[in-house]
Amino acid sequence: MAAPIRILTAVPICDGHDSAINTINLEFIRHGIEVVYLGYHRYAEDIVRAAIQEDVRAIGISSYNGGHVEFFAEVVRLLKKQGADDIQVFGGGGGTITHEDQKVMERRGVDKIFFAGTPLSEMVEFVHDRYGKAKRGKKAPTAEMKLARKLTEIEDAYAKGKKKRPTPNAKRLTSNRKQGSGKNNRKRVIGFTGPGGAGKTTLIDELVLRLLHREPKTRIAILSHDPSVVGEGALLGDRATMINSQDERVFMRSMATRGQAGGLSPATEDCLRLLAESPFDYVIIETVGTGQEAMPFRSKLIDETVLVMNPDYGARLQLQKIVMLDLADIVVVNKSDQDRARTAALEIKRRLEQNKRPQKLISTVAKRHRDRGVDKLCDLLTEKK
Amino acid sequence: MSKLGRVVEAVENYNRFVLDEVRRARTETKFGQQLLERWNRIKANTPIGRAPTGLPLPRLALPEIDEPGEIARYLLGDGLPGEFPYLNGAYREMYLEPLREEGSYGNEQEKNGHGKNGHSKNGKKGVAKLAETEEPTRLFSGMGLAEDTNERFHYLGAHQRSKRLSTAFDGLTLYGIDSDAPGVFGKIGEGGVAVDTVEDMERLYAGFDMGAPSFSASMTISGPAPIIMAMYIAAAKRRFGPSVVPKLRGTIQADIFKEVQAQNETIFPVEASLRFLADMMEYTTREMPRWYPVSISGYHIGEAGATPVQQAAYTLSNGFAYAEMMAARGIHVDQFGPRLSFFLDCGLDVEYIALARVSRRIWAIGMRDAFGAGTKAQMFKLHTQTSGRSLVAAEFKNNLTRTAAELMLAYMNGSNSCHSNSADEPFTTPSEEWIRLSAHGQAILLDESGIFKHTMNMLSGSPGMKAVERAVEAAILEEFRQIEELGGVVAAIEHRYQRSQIQNAAHRYEEQIYDGTRSIIGLNKYRNANEKPPKVELVRTPRAKKQIQVDRLKQFKKRNAAKAAKALDRLAAVAETDENCFPALLEAAEVCSLGQISGRLQEVVGRFRPMV
Ligand code: B12
Repeated sequence: MAAPIRILTAVPICDGHDSAINTINLEFIRHGIEVVYLGYHRYAEDIVRAAIQEDVRAIGISSYNGGHVEFFAEVVRLLKKQGADDIQVFGGGGGTITHEDQKVMERRGVDKIFFAGTPLSEMVEFVHDRYGKAKRGKKAPTAEMKLARKLTEIEDAYAKGKKKRPTPNAKRLTSNRKQGSGKNNRKRVIGFTGPGGAGKTTLIDELVLRLLHREPKTRIAILSHDPSVVGEGALLGDRATMINSQDERVFMRSMATRGQAGGLSPATEDCLRLLAESPFDYVIIETVGTGQEAMPFRSKLIDETVLVMNPDYGARLQLQKIVMLDLADIVVVNKSDQDRARTAALEIKRRLEQNKRPQKLISTVAKRHRDRGVDKLCDLLTEKK
Repeated sequence: MSKLGRVVEAVENYNRFVLDEVRRARTETKFGQQLLERWNRIKANTPIGRAPTGLPLPRLALPEIDEPGEIARYLLGDGLPGEFPYLNGAYREMYLEPLREEGSYGNEQEKNGHGKNGHSKNGKKGVAKLAETEEPTRLFSGMGLAEDTNERFHYLGAHQRSKRLSTAFDGLTLYGIDSDAPGVFGKIGEGGVAVDTVEDMERLYAGFDMGAPSFSASMTISGPAPIIMAMYIAAAKRRFGPSVVPKLRGTIQADIFKEVQAQNETIFPVEASLRFLADMMEYTTREMPRWYPVSISGYHIGEAGATPVQQAAYTLSNGFAYAEMMAARGIHVDQFGPRLSFFLDCGLDVEYIALARVSRRIWAIGMRDAFGAGTKAQMFKLHTQTSGRSLVAAEFKNNLTRTAAELMLAYMNGSNSCHSNSADEPFTTPSEEWIRLSAHGQAILLDESGIFKHTMNMLSGSPGMKAVERAVEAAILEEFRQIEELGGVVAAIEHRYQRSQIQNAAHRYEEQIYDGTRSIIGLNKYRNANEKPPKVELVRTPRAKKQIQVDRLKQFKKRNAAKAAKALDRLAAVAETDENCFPALLEAAEVCSLGQISGRLQEVVGRFRPMV
């Protein structure tokens, strides 16, 4: 089967009109397209960086608050500057983009503008026809772009039927990775998992904020996952909430699980290996929200696993069934401002004691600015081994 | 149970109470007799006015009933205009023209000692009061620089007795960003007016007497509302001295919940946004008794694609959540309650026949019975805007008809004030030609036509309207139960409940256009095959103007650099504590730009993390 088309959508800076793009995103994913959604109120630079890292075929922009001629042109210009002009730019803005504007915009390199009153089916058809095949001109001019394209190749190979390798031999991988990371012995591959709604994405983004802040040269890679079914599209929306991770020193890649259960994609292992071999100081991988029995991180590539939990996991009995509690190196009780948080932390502590392993337990409120718990988590993860 | 659960109970109990009273009116002769007498008195005391043709008409229309049970159902279930539960209107009279001739007026509800003929000591009162009433027309405008918008304000207000200015800000201002920030130049003054400093605020309302009773300003801004409010106060003080503060009249939108749910202009994390909002509300409630510090808005929810029922349900539940929040701060409901106001959308879906009427009733019952509020805090004061989303680009002149129909619905629902969109809505900030027509649309309906000016309740209470009322009320209560189940408004927001519901409804709406379930004339029905791109005058801000704004902001910053640094430090220090920040904001607003203030506050409380 052909790999799904990946595109990125966004709304320009100082514009919160997201109703049209939300509708279009929904329509696209129902028709097999994977949409990396960057959100509203976005700078041109952020859009272009994300598009390159995600290696999408095209960028769809929905603009309403005016200044569209300049904004679209800026996106095209930045793409060109980075040598990424194989990524097309299209979009709409209802009646605010006039026919005259459209002519100017197309002259400046915009692929297509959809006027008010266009049926949704026309847009879906356009994307399939126009961006159905990768058209690749020149070689990737930057390392980042090379990495991005390589990740696409890996993903596409699995989509086309490549079989997953058995879980690789730990030793070989470890030595491989050490080669890639060079002098730095602090490089960490950290896996985050936990049930949906526990706040993993927010927690990671807050962690990234701290990591970037603490060391002016740190480079971070993030591999995030969203669920999808074989043959259907997916909304990859983590970037929209991870505001601190939209940074020059962060390489982020959003993946759809493409039908695989357990929180990761068939291509995850290979993609992770590639990232681990690339020059990043931290590689962070986030699963989709998982169930009790999930053990997503069987890969030996991962140095540290973090289980993020919500205080209201139900009765104490439930805890016995959560397999990751046995396997995680660090357990985080997030949303610890909730009523049940103290009881939850105590119950989990007792549960961990049974394991007789040096596991750490931390309480956080990731949504709170400058949360001390997140500081502590950051300390733990940056400790020299 | 959260307060919302109590509201559901209150409405259910009230409906049961009405039914019990209907039964009692039918079975207890004495009670029935009292009701009949009251009913007859109301009818007898209703003055008769005359249309220009000479046709005599009662000033208040009532259903033709003479059976005690039905009278109880009407008086208690609906209420006369201006009476609990306010289904027919928060106030009496509203759009009525003054009585042309001597005639009796008043009923027992008016405690002014009106005699049978309404004269006695207050002889002229009814008439005098009417002459003071203001036009309900409000036109939302903002474009380019402050002086451009000021010019438009003067143009729009030229023929109005009262100056009611409704201000639209540009995207930068809405997001608390300065005009000299990198990467935003193209957005300056687009879609609204650029305001960076107290000096822009002075220019914006130049030539208007900001403290006069005939002046009020409404400001459509929410994320940075407390900062903009502080700038407004600072500007008024600069021009009229500190004594102007308690005289200021107007509204600031400031509603954070609907930003998170629909309009997407939140700039601080929700908790911090609510704290700054409550700080401001505490200040205005105390110092500015005529100011409405929050306009609880459904408009944006509706325009983002929500169904009318979702719109009303989310708006009302947001309102109750604010009431809960203020009560938690120890402020009495009768202090802040009367300063809450509402803003709804009005489109062409059938629900709009009664959406605002039902909302008014639920608000009144909820505030009275779940919050213990007195009369003034029970009244749902409503501003309505006709739907922008219902206006389309194809054969856009049809938008005049759409807006006219919506206006009709808005006034049938007893809106206290109304904005009508211009026909060029799909393309641009309205140009003078179309904005003039939209203002005239309201005048034609209210002044020229006889539909609303002779009789209260002129179009209220048809069997169809009743059917819609019942269906809509039941559906709103069902939505409340859903939200309650998720743990209340704030918890539901965290679950993305309202957002995902709105997005699904928006998608369905577009689907229905293209599958033909919804007719849009000129687009999917009676489409003109030869239609050419329309010729419309675009209102866009030239580069040179944008540059002026950047230059003068830079000068302002240079001039005030030392003072600004101090004011920001003080503000940040207060923001770290639990103290009310608003006084420190007022000081900062004198010498700092919007972006400086919002940036510094974000350092303390963080940035908003958007939801998909
Ligand atoms: C809905 C709406 C809102 C809602 C937005 C809710 C939301 N979350 O999206 C609310 C009420 C919150 C709102 C607020 C404002 N709005 Co507004 N809004 C509109 C409105 C009525 C409809 C836009 C819409 O969503 N249409 C539905 C979509 C599905 O259809 P469409 O627009 O025809 O688009 C079609 C195609 O173009 C295409 N398309 C669109 N985008 C894309 C992208 C891609 C990739 C593709 C393939 C296709 C595509 O798909 C659609 C289907 O065919 C327009 C006026 C109008 N009638 O168009 C004003 C309008 C866009 N708003 C305007 C303004 C000024 C504002 C405010 C700045 C007002 C203020 N000062 O406070 C605020 C700013 C909000 C913000 N956060 O930025 C102006 C812009 C003026 C200008 N550019 O000159 C307009 C034109 C109204 C006006 N005439 O003044 N608004």
